[in-house]
Amino acid sequence: MVNGYTAASLQEALEIRAAHDVVPYAGGTDLMVENRQGVEYLFLNKVPELRKITVDDEYVRIGAAVTFTEALADPNVPQLMKEAVSRIAAPAIRNAGTFGGNLGNGSAKADSVLIEFVADAKLRLVSKKGERIVDVDKFYLGRKKLDLASDELIAEVLLPKKGLAQYSYEKVGGRNALAISRVSFAGVFATENGKITNVAAAFGAVADTVLRYKDIEATLIGKTVDEAKAMKKDYLGAYAERMVLTRGRVSAEYRKNVCMNLLNDFLTKFGI
Amino acid sequence: MEKISQSVVKKDHAPKVSGRSIYVSDYPSEGVLCGKLLHAKVARAKVLGVEVPELPEGYFYVDAKDVPGDNNVNIVLDDTPVYCRETVEYIGEPIAMICGPDPKVVEQLRDACKVNYEELEPVLDLRAAQEKFFDYNFGHGDVEKAFAEADKVYEEEFETGYQEQAYLETQGMMAEPEEGGRMFVHGSAQCAYYIHGAVMRALGCGPTGVHILQDVTGGGFGGKEAFPSILGCQVAVAAHKCKKPVRCVFDRREDMEYTSKRHPSLCRYKVAVKDGKVTAMDIDVKFNAGAYSTLSAVVLQRGIIAAPGIYNVPNIRVHGWAVKTNTSPCGAYRGFGAPQTFFAVEMMMDHIARDLGVDSLAFKEAHLVKQGDTTSTCGKYHFPVPIPAMIEEIDKACDYRKKRAEYAKPQTGRYRRGIGMSMYFHGAGFTGSGERDLIKAVAKLRKYKDGTVEVLASNGEIGQGLRTTFPKIVAHELNLPLDKVYYNHPDTARVPDSGPTVASRSLMVVGELLRRAAIKLREQWVDGEEQEVEERFKEPDFLIPFYIDKFEGDAYPTYAWSVNAIELEIDTYTGVAKVLGAYGSFDVGTPIDYNIVMGQMEGGFLQGIGYASIEKMDYDAKGRIRNNSFSDYLIPTTKDVPNLKCMLHVEKYPNGPYGAKGAGELPLVGAPGAYLEAVEQALGGVTLNHAPFTAEDTLAVITKEAI
Repeated sequence: MVNGYTAASLQEALEIRAAHDVVPYAGGTDLMVENRQGVEYLFLNKVPELRKITVDDEYVRIGAAVTFTEALADPNVPQLMKEAVSRIAAPAIRNAGTFGGNLGNGSAKADSVLIEFVADAKLRLVSKKGERIVDVDKFYLGRKKLDLASDELIAEVLLPKKGLAQYSYEKVGGRNALAISRVSFAGVFATENGKITNVAAAFGAVADTVLRYKDIEATLIGKTVDEAKAMKKDYLGAYAERMVLTRGRVSAEYRKNVCMNLLNDFLTKFGI
Repeated sequence: MEKISQSVVKKDHAPKVSGRSIYVSDYPSEGVLCGKLLHAKVARAKVLGVEVPELPEGYFYVDAKDVPGDNNVNIVLDDTPVYCRETVEYIGEPIAMICGPDPKVVEQLRDACKVNYEELEPVLDLRAAQEKFFDYNFGHGDVEKAFAEADKVYEEEFETGYQEQAYLETQGMMAEPEEGGRMFVHGSAQCAYYIHGAVMRALGCGPTGVHILQDVTGGGFGGKEAFPSILGCQVAVAAHKCKKPVRCVFDRREDMEYTSKRHPSLCRYKVAVKDGKVTAMDIDVKFNAGAYSTLSAVVLQRGIIAAPGIYNVPNIRVHGWAVKTNTSPCGAYRGFGAPQTFFAVEMMMDHIARDLGVDSLAFKEAHLVKQGDTTSTCGKYHFPVPIPAMIEEIDKACDYRKKRAEYAKPQTGRYRRGIGMSMYFHGAGFTGSGERDLIKAVAKLRKYKDGTVEVLASNGEIGQGLRTTFPKIVAHELNLPLDKVYYNHPDTARVPDSGPTVASRSLMVVGELLRRAAIKLREQWVDGEEQEVEERFKEPDFLIPFYIDKFEGDAYPTYAWSVNAIELEIDTYTGVAKVLGAYGSFDVGTPIDYNIVMGQMEGGFLQGIGYASIEKMDYDAKGRIRNNSFSDYLIPTTKDVPNLKCMLHVEKYPNGPYGAKGAGELPLVGAPGAYLEAVEQALGGVTLNHAPFTAEDTLAVITKEAI
């Protein structure tokens, strides 16, 4: 028997979350497989506040219980996110799996989370006491380690509306469907007046959390593409030195090789 | 298309797709004890003792001391224990079974058992292993002379890994003591009579002391040929002790880690070439049998007989050995030893051709066997060898020769393409004189007063369609509508022994017995009467008798033939290979049902592509198989080879029903050769020697060779 609470509103969900020791449950695509014994769930898939995609001046706001299929059908969701989400598992999983669940599972292999990292997305976390907005990389600390209090829920993913048009996305899975990422890569590039304003690169499934090195990225900010090109060898060298990867279903060496190839390809694609 | 080939709705289609079929785990649990095995946690050790927790009432601990008969499972040899002896020989070996009404309590009790081991040094590595279970030598011609006179001698080693059958339904058996002391054992299985013999021996009873029913079975692929005999004995012994029905169903991790898989292999080929032709092959085939011999003898036999491929080589020497390691015993899996050696010989021929500066296809064509030629075991290819025509069919389907020439040119850029081809046979039916000397199949038809006819045979429906194709044959001969003829899952209490469901034999051998029985019944038919007819296996007259001690004679009466081509594109940044097309021409004789045969061909071909590419399984330094789940052991999906084109080429076998011959195993066998040849070409002509060849392997070559 599954024990749990079903909330009909966000308020109700937060009351339950504060009062009981519960595992938030949105689509259940990970939790059903885990089949933890002796836990109580808080079912969130009927909470209307968590099921919306809205847009404000700055962000596309994706509710935590929005499914991947719903996001794919929404015109406001950036193409980069759609590309990543469209390659998650298979249609049945995408019909149930959610953005909040992908975050909450706390895995560096989560395909939507990679995009949140590269896009500098923020998360809105709510509790009975109020809410806070955190950067995704401050929230996602390590394997199964999240900055989420026991009375908090993930409410929304705040994805910047602008700046995601020029990108690279690659997923290396063990096969073409129903495959957990073995290496995933997302890069976002932007220039203004001939100067690089963004050259974000994020690596998924290769360490305990999604990897991104903003200090290395910063060395190209403000440079022209030609200047960046002249710096490319050292730039790649800096990544190669910093990237200490773990082994998993594939070796650390393989992961690193692929990461460096994909980073190089990303830079090349934008003239660097 | 002949009438018999026209597709019908499978007899078990509706209950299976609607979820109404009853598998062994679906029987109600009331009054049935759940059994869970206590598996060894170390690869090799003396078992000093087991500290069993206090058992609540109604819970039992069952081990070797409870075996009323012989604690040895009858497979080929009898070295596999029902429950472990003084030592355990691999991680997962069953030490005991805990039985009781509540599965959770049973699991807790099982996990609370403390096994005291005196650890011994295990042998894990196939290269290092020297203890032989089986050791065969055969050959013909003058190998030494051919090597002495050769222009050039080639030597290479080839390795293949495990492959897991990955059937949808895990292993599961149930035993129920019946009134009068008879034991009823049923479950997921391929070979009811194998289990019958094994359980008789474990219980120490006569043939009427047990009966075995094959339940609806969710796939076998060979994995349920021998293993259910072991599990059947374990539940039968448990039910005997508990005096209640006992059911043991494996969970997926248990199944993937501890049950039989395809034998990893290490093949060494030494080949003499003179005037551009292969004049001799000296072949050493080494299979990792695992801790007990189970089916390794017969798997190895099939493997070494195929070792020279489908090429006419005048001088052959083959040595085959199956060695013991402290790992899970390997067993049957679709292809049965042949995928390993066909992979090796196809790569060998490809590599020699490249060294000689000729195209691999042309080189292979120049060596093809043909009707009347001598087989590797000095038998004869009695029937036409349709390979040349099949090569043309494949060439036409995918423009093979043109692409092969095109992709041989230097390639640049991220994505590189290659195409490869393999050609091979699958010997139809049991190896050697097994059908005549060991199986002696008997099949019956029983006609009831209402005019319905029941097929009585022991072959199991495992998805290959026997519940449909057997009745199709009988209905055809009796000129009855198909719904008047039926074939239920076999129960050894009421069907004769028509042999096991293995070796792609059921349709060809037993189907023919049924065809003859149907003719007999037609001749005797009397309306309104119950009638029964019987047919027994008769060895075809044309066969050259096979002697297993010398490996001489016809190893198979006939062969199913195939040509495969695989075209792929490699991403040089990630090593990932995208299969652009997989093309197979398959000659299984007359298809008894076109859709069923095509389903077999497509599924088997895809399984072979998995074996060649992504299906990697290995053990760690302690001998433990780590990738024991479907997220760690990946099999291909339909998305991986969307362009999968299978074609049938019909070369009829006069002694099979309407010209049918063995089908089930053929489509898996040749994929690794074609796949690796394509990878080699895409990587600019590198030499590759092992399968599976994963993205990681590919990227390692790209990095090393700076491609």
